[in-house]
Amino acid sequence: MSYDYVIELRDLNRHYTMGEETVKALDGVNLEIKRGEYVSIVGPSGSGKTTLFNLIGGLDKPTGGSVFIDGVDIAQLDAYELAWLRCRKIGYIFQSFNLIQVLTALENVALPTVFAGVPREEGLRKAQHILESVGLGTRVHHRPSELSAGQQQRVAIARALANDPSIILADEPTGNLDLNTGMEIIDLLHGLNKTKGLTLVAATHDLKMIKASDRIVWMRDGQIERIERG
Amino acid sequence: MARESIGRVHFSLGDAARLGYDHIKRRWSRAAINIASIALGLSFYATLVLSDTFYGTYERLGGSQLSVESYQYWLVGVALVVSVVGITNAMLIAVYERYKEIGTMKCLGALDRHIILLFLVESSFQGLAGGLAGFLLGLAAAVASTGFTTGFDIALKVPPLQMLTLFTGSVALALTLSMTATLYPAWRASKLRPVEALRYEL
Ligand SMILES: Nc1ncnc2c1ncn2[C@@H]1O[C@H](COP(=O)(O)OP(=O)(O)OP(=O)(O)O)[C@@H](O)[C@H]1O
Ligand SMILES: [Mg+2]
Repeated sequence: MSYDYVIELRDLNRHYTMGEETVKALDGVNLEIKRGEYVSIVGPSGSGKTTLFNLIGGLDKPTGGSVFIDGVDIAQLDAYELAWLRCRKIGYIFQSFNLIQVLTALENVALPTVFAGVPREEGLRKAQHILESVGLGTRVHHRPSELSAGQQQRVAIARALANDPSIILADEPTGNLDLNTGMEIIDLLHGLNKTKGLTLVAATHDLKMIKASDRIVWMRDGQIERIERG
Repeated sequence: MARESIGRVHFSLGDAARLGYDHIKRRWSRAAINIASIALGLSFYATLVLSDTFYGTYERLGGSQLSVESYQYWLVGVALVVSVVGITNAMLIAVYERYKEIGTMKCLGALDRHIILLFLVESSFQGLAGGLAGFLLGLAAAVASTGFTTGFDIALKVPPLQMLTLFTGSVALALTLSMTATLYPAWRASKLRPVEALRYEL
C-alpha cells in the first residue's frame, strides 16, 4: 500500500519543563508532506525548527501528538524498528556535517550500508558510486579533516543517500558554508529532489534555499504561522 | 510502508572490529595511555608469578628454596585495581569526546547494543596489547631480579606448557580487566539519546 503523504504530523507538541517554567518548543503542529515534495522550514532562532527535525526523524519523542512516516505512527515502533527507520527510510544532513572523523569519505558513506546489512564489498562499491555522483570521486580516501567544508557536506549528503532513503531531512545544511559553496549544496539537494523524487525537508535561514522549494513553512514560537507556495 | 515491511539493522563483531581498529589507529594517543596502564599493572603481576615459577623451577632442579613474599601479591592487587580505575576514567572521557559520533551512529541505524559492542571491542584490543606488553615487561623484570641466584637462563628451563599457561592467563587477565573497566562507560554511551548526543558541542 502506498500513502499519499510520506510525512504526516498530527497535533504535534514538544514541551520542555524546566522547574516552574514550560517551554513549548512545538505547540500543536499539523502538516502533511507529499512524496517528492521539497519543503523549507523557516523561522527565527528558537522557533522550533530543530525540534521539528528531531521529531520527524525519530530522534526525539513528542510530548503529545503523532508523527506518521509512510502511514506508520513511529511512536508505535520498538527500538529495533526505529533504528531500521533511521537507517533505511531517512537520510539526515546536519549543519556541522557530523562525519566520523576517523573514517575516510568512502568509509563514512559506506557506514549506513553496514547497518543495513549490505555485504562490505557491495557497500563500498555503492559508496564510491554515490561519492562520484556528488562530485567527490577523487577524494574518496580523504578523511573529513582533509576536506573543505563544502566537500564535507557533500560527503554527508552522500552518506544520507547510501541506503536509498525516501526522505532527506536537513537542518541548516548551508549554515556553515560560504555563499558559493552553499549555492552548490542547494543545487545538489534540489537536483536529488527532482531527479530521484526524494522528499526533502530542510530547516533553513538561507533565502536561496527557500526559493528553490515547493512549499515554505513559516514557524514562530513553536507553531506554524503560515504556509506559502514556493 | 506497512509495519510488516520493517526489517532489522545489522552490526556484526567483524564490523565492530574494523571500526574499533580504525578508532585505535587514528586516536592512538588515547589508546596508548590505556594500553600502558594495563601493561604496567599487568607487568607487576607477571613479574611476581614468573619469579615464583622461576624459583620453583630452580628448586626442582636442585637449588635452594626461595619464594616471593606474600605481601607483594597485595601490591599487585592494588596495582591492577588502579589500572582498572584509570581505564574506566579514560574511557569515560573517550565517550564524552565521542558524544556527537555516537549520536550520528544512532541516526545511521545503530542500536544501543551496537555502541556497547564497539566500545568493548576497542577495549579488548587495548587489553590484548596491554597484556602482551605487560607480560614481556614482567618476563624481563622477573629474569633480571631472579637471575643472579637462579641463573639468567632460568626462563628456558621452565616447562614450555607451564610458561604457555602463565602467558595465556596473564593476557586473559588483562583482557578481562580492560573490558570490565569499559563496561560502565560503554553502557553510558549506549544510553545516550540521539538528540542529546547531537546537540553536544565540544
Ligand atoms: N533540551 C532542551 N531543553 C529545554 N529547552 C529546549 C531544549 N531544546 C530546545 N529547547 C527550546 O525549544 C525552543 C525551540 O528550539 P529549536 O532548537 O527547535 O529552535 P530552532 O528554530 O532550531 O532555532 P535555531 O534557528 O537557533 O536553530 C527554544 O526556545 C529552545 O530554547
Ligand atoms: Mg536549530
